[in-house]
Amino acid sequence: MYAMKNWLIGGILMLALSAVPPVCQGMNMPDSITLDSLVQLYDKVKFDHAKHINLIKDCAVCHHHTTGTLVEDPNCVRCHKNSSETKIVACKGCHSAQPFSAETLREKRQGTKLYHQDKPGLKGAYHLNCMGCHTKMGGPTGCLDCHKRNKAGDALYNSGKSAPKKAQGNAAGHGH
Amino acid sequence: MKRRDFLKGCMICGAASSLGISKKAWGSGSFEGYPEGMGVLVDLTRCIGCRSCEAACNKEQQLPEPKVPFDDQSVFEEKRRPSEEAYTVVNRYEQKGGPVYRKIQCNHCNEPACLTSCFVNAYTKTKEGAVIYNSKVCVGCRNCMIACPFNVPGYSYSSATNPVVKKCILCYDTRLKYGKPPACVEICPQEVLTFGYRKDLIKIGHERIRETPDKYVDHIYGEKEVGGTGWLYLSSVPFDKVGFDNTLGNEPIISNVKEFLGTVPMVLTIWPALFTGFHLLSTRKKGHGDDHGHDAHSKSEQEDAKK
Amino acid sequence: MKAYKANGVEIVDSLYKDGGKKKWNLMEKLLLGLTPRQYIAQALRNPFNWILAVIFAIGIPIILGRFFFGLGWVTHSSNDYPWGMFLGFGLFAMVPLSSSGFQLGTTCEVFGRHDFEPIERLGLLNGLLGYLFAVIYLMVDLGQPWRLPYPMVVSFGPAAVLFLVAWHVATYLSVQVAEVSVAFFEWIGFPMGKRGVRKITLGLTVAGIILSTLHQGALGALFTYAPGKVHPLWYSASFQWLHFFVSSLPGGLCMVIAVSTIARKTMAWRCGQEFNDNLDKLTIALAKGASMGLATYLTIKLIGMAHDNKWEYLATGWGQWYMFEIFFGVILPLGLFAYAIRNKMVGLVRLSAFLTVFGVVLNRVNTAMITFNWKLAEREIPHWREAIISVTIFAIYITVYRFILYRLPILYSWKTADETVEATEGARVPKKVILDEEPVPVGTYRTREERIIPAAGFSSLEKN
Repeated sequence: MYAMKNWLIGGILMLALSAVPPVCQGMNMPDSITLDSLVQLYDKVKFDHAKHINLIKDCAVCHHHTTGTLVEDPNCVRCHKNSSETKIVACKGCHSAQPFSAETLREKRQGTKLYHQDKPGLKGAYHLNCMGCHTKMGGPTGCLDCHKRNKAGDALYNSGKSAPKKAQGNAAGHGH
Repeated sequence: MKRRDFLKGCMICGAASSLGISKKAWGSGSFEGYPEGMGVLVDLTRCIGCRSCEAACNKEQQLPEPKVPFDDQSVFEEKRRPSEEAYTVVNRYEQKGGPVYRKIQCNHCNEPACLTSCFVNAYTKTKEGAVIYNSKVCVGCRNCMIACPFNVPGYSYSSATNPVVKKCILCYDTRLKYGKPPACVEICPQEVLTFGYRKDLIKIGHERIRETPDKYVDHIYGEKEVGGTGWLYLSSVPFDKVGFDNTLGNEPIISNVKEFLGTVPMVLTIWPALFTGFHLLSTRKKGHGDDHGHDAHSKSEQEDAKK
Repeated sequence: MKAYKANGVEIVDSLYKDGGKKKWNLMEKLLLGLTPRQYIAQALRNPFNWILAVIFAIGIPIILGRFFFGLGWVTHSSNDYPWGMFLGFGLFAMVPLSSSGFQLGTTCEVFGRHDFEPIERLGLLNGLLGYLFAVIYLMVDLGQPWRLPYPMVVSFGPAAVLFLVAWHVATYLSVQVAEVSVAFFEWIGFPMGKRGVRKITLGLTVAGIILSTLHQGALGALFTYAPGKVHPLWYSASFQWLHFFVSSLPGGLCMVIAVSTIARKTMAWRCGQEFNDNLDKLTIALAKGASMGLATYLTIKLIGMAHDNKWEYLATGWGQWYMFEIFFGVILPLGLFAYAIRNKMVGLVRLSAFLTVFGVVLNRVNTAMITFNWKLAEREIPHWREAIISVTIFAIYITVYRFILYRLPILYSWKTADETVEATEGARVPKKVILDEEPVPVGTYRTREERIIPAAGFSSLEKN
């Protein structure tokens, strides 16, 4: 008799769990995402997705209307009051890594049905979205706070090991 | 003798008038830019002064090593301008709501003053919208530097054997020709620089202002200034507070010069007849020996006549 | 030189020496008929030459350095102030002062006023040298002066005002060389060349007027490329070219008055009879022309101010500087001219002419350098090397001017063959002729009476 009750409780719990939408089960949500679109100049960034979910809770703050939740920005609500989840939620799904190549621009010109003509590229989207919030909430805002430069990056900026000979003496000058 | 002189005079004047004629066409309306002309929309509200654009330009155009690293923020203490060593610079302007950063470079105007002032035709406005220059014919008169209303072109004074004008060419040789955006556009982390067809960028700029009117001043700088420029600016503070010149007006620089250029053909055609006429009128009454005309009066002529 | 002449040394003033018997050769002509020792002696005695020597000693190495080390060595390498003293003073100021070429040519040849002939050649030479040295200043200023012919033959930019300036100055220089070549051919003894040029003189003169009108105006139009950069009091959108053209007219005429004054003062031995007799009268006549020019210029300036409604700028610091320029450069000379011409006071006319020259130079330097970039916070003071080079080139200009005036028949008339014989027969025959090679010490003329050595062939001297 008591063994049956345990099985029953376990079974109901399982059913209840399966009723929760898959999104909230965390099945598709990675805990940590590696951002490596700038590996030429910067080392890979380990983005702590789980931490941000716990901090912000509302997916729409970063993912706009693509997660199916209600978005607050009045410019978005106009059209996306009842939008459902999109197939790809990751940033790189909509934000192109090469927003200004000749092909992309040509496509943009021809795709007049596309409303979002002013969509930033991937790099811009990361920085504009993330930095906007970080500045308000007190997160890291310095370039090197999130990604360290590699040797090629140093060469580009004539900084660190590639600094001009005179400036290498006062290395405290760089970084924010 | 007098008739012969007159005809010789006309011939010489005709020859002289065929030289140095300014073949400037009269007002052919205004030039809105080539239809496939590209541009860059600069959103000053996004710029954080990281100077990545300066670094990218430096590498792409193979400019000399800078004196300080590109992530050094101390350079913002004074206002800089483009020069032979830096085709683009960023300046910082302290405003009430925080610093505003402005990127300065050649604006790639629709009707560039530099191009119209160059007497060896060293500048070209390509159909992609870039204003490029041919350093092989540059004589070094530096008239383009006088003409540019934005004080952009720099000159390589440091070179003794081959000093030429140096300025941003929208990475035409290395990127634009191959369908790639300029280096500064590609590297900007905040996507301050939006690259695209100029006509589309104007629409996008106005759309941004419409969607967030509190964020921007309702004006795109460069949409109409001096006939329209390829680089368009959006700002959150009035433009003259961040170093823009608001007194330029919407006429391209060449419009100022057209008044003079228009008088050139008139002088070339009217002066010969006018002055030869004066000559005929003023010497007819002198003396009866009309065959010698005015020649008989000067001493050296008398001497020549004697010989 | 005065002393030599007084002692009967025959100075070259015709093709033949000694009463038409022998022709001067080129070397003798270059040395003015003196022996090399005599020539050097008179050169060393002249204190102005000492000043020139100092200027050249300092300046010429710096000019050479400019070409070896580049413009960065002699200027402040300013991107905001691309044009400095070489153009602001050397080119923009010297060109209007050289407009005397076409003005005097027109007066004599087109309007037939041959009474101006004694000063015509000086006006033409003034024009030629002024333009020549303006081009030399340009060569020093250009980044790549060896590419100067490019706008003529390699790559044309015909929409540019500078294109017009380049072509016109090149053509006009040729016209002026031709006009001055008349005097040169006389001196060299090439009558055919002289006759050939005289035949096309009318054509040359009219071509000169056309070219001059346009490029004097074009130099002004150059500033219409930078409408916001020149201070509004010096800039006029519609009339800039007219300002420059009209102010060049009194500038050129007054430069001739100024040069003729200096020449008469310092080179009296070289001035011919006709020149000396007519100079005062012609000076007043030139001044009449200059005052017309000044009056017109003043009117156009006022119209320009009214047209663009710039009166409020007069109340500023720049306004005071402007009024200084207009008063001392235009209004004061105009008033002095009016008074002096009426009362035939040649000295006052000359003073007024110098003031006008100063005014024109000041106007050009103001437009090109001082009020340029008036909106920018910093004014640029030229590099000291730039100043030295400018002064040196001006000194070279004066030296070349003097060189030519000493020799060519500009201030004096070239005697014809008949006149040479007449002169030596009828004129006072010099008693003491120093013919040997010994150096001529200062102050010993009167003691050399016992050293007369009549050379063979000077038969006309044996009369005394």
